[in-house]
Amino acid sequence: MKVAIASIGLLFASMAFTSCSSPEAEAEKQETTDSIPSADTVVEEMKTSYNLPSALQIASAFKRSGGTFLSNVTNDKASVSRYNTNTYKKAVNFGIYSADLAYCLSNKKYQESKEYLKACKDMGSYLGLDKAFESDRMAERFESNISNEDSLIRIVTHLQLKTDLMFEENRQEEVKVLALVGAWTESLYIAAETYNKDKSKKVGAALLDQLLFSNTMLKAIQATENSEPEVKSLALSIETLQKQVMAIPSLASAIEQDENADFSTLTISETELDPLLGSIRSLRNDMVK
Amino acid sequence: MCSALILASLSFKKGGDILCNPAALKEKAGKSLEPYKYDSSELTRILYKKKESVKEVEVPLFIGEKYMFVFEMEALPKRVEVEIYNRDKDSKKRKLLFSSKGKTDLTEFQCEISKMRTVYVDYIVPASDESAQTGCALFVLGYKLK
Repeated sequence: MKVAIASIGLLFASMAFTSCSSPEAEAEKQETTDSIPSADTVVEEMKTSYNLPSALQIASAFKRSGGTFLSNVTNDKASVSRYNTNTYKKAVNFGIYSADLAYCLSNKKYQESKEYLKACKDMGSYLGLDKAFESDRMAERFESNISNEDSLIRIVTHLQLKTDLMFEENRQEEVKVLALVGAWTESLYIAAETYNKDKSKKVGAALLDQLLFSNTMLKAIQATENSEPEVKSLALSIETLQKQVMAIPSLASAIEQDENADFSTLTISETELDPLLGSIRSLRNDMVK
Repeated sequence: MCSALILASLSFKKGGDILCNPAALKEKAGKSLEPYKYDSSELTRILYKKKESVKEVEVPLFIGEKYMFVFEMEALPKRVEVEIYNRDKDSKKRKLLFSSKGKTDLTEFQCEISKMRTVYVDYIVPASDESAQTGCALFVLGYKLK
């Protein structure tokens, strides 16, 4: 009898735990806190995973190269509605606008940052990420801290955390990968255009640093096992980029000797770099068209 | 009716699985990141098998930045060790950069990494006789300029 009562108590306790939330949250919670997924699903999870960098981190790293800020290199904010077509377009361009936001923020272009934040919010709404942008009075806080870089970065960082959480809760791993690849592509494009203007060794080294992420980006895309034509084409383009990078003899040699080599001491000719810059432009322009 | 309720509660109790709450784990880990800035997080769902197994996460980094990994391991029914290497698990020569072995508190711990382009986080999942036992591990990654 005591065992029966204890068991019934445990059952009601568990029911109370799962019911302490709104009906909408309940559905999400069931998804996120389900502790016994099917064996098939969980076995798949034992494959290698890939943790990709955020747009803010890439922009922060690039800023140190001292490159000139280019006001005309970011994607047109007015094009947002153009990308409300398929998941691929929504995801990569969400990433692209997040990279543009990070670029403007790291260069203290606060008004432009606010406009790109809106573009991210609009793209985010196409992907079901509204809650992330509406939480914690984010827009108000951004406006009231408009000239304080540290505060703005904190707000955007917090937004990053919220969107990561939503991707996890919505089981949108593929979308997250595409968004981060989009952000990386836009950051590459910005670095390439900056190098084209500055011809600075430091900017060139920063570009090469970003290019080396192509290996993990490619593996992350392949791991989604998405067979849609646009994703297959994206993987092929990144593979081409990867081969072009490793075809630069001085770079390949430096990496072979020390995978953590400093690229700022390398001398790479325009002839070696031009095909790479062309591929980067082509990859990015394909995403934003 | 009574028997059905008892059976339901007993089956819940038998699994012994700990509920995985990504939001709570991230919030907890995020508090330990300061002064590093949040970059990303990785939730890994762990399945315990009859033999020991390894779940790997590849993490590309910038060579000129310093990083902090904060691991949250409380949503695991059995202890899982964490090792961080400079190369993937199929490489013959790889260097161990960090190991959680020997740590007494394995619910949360941290690891600083710098001067690396890629690291590989390995979760060493011990064997378990219980079928379909699962849990989850999480790390958040923070960065700062050197």
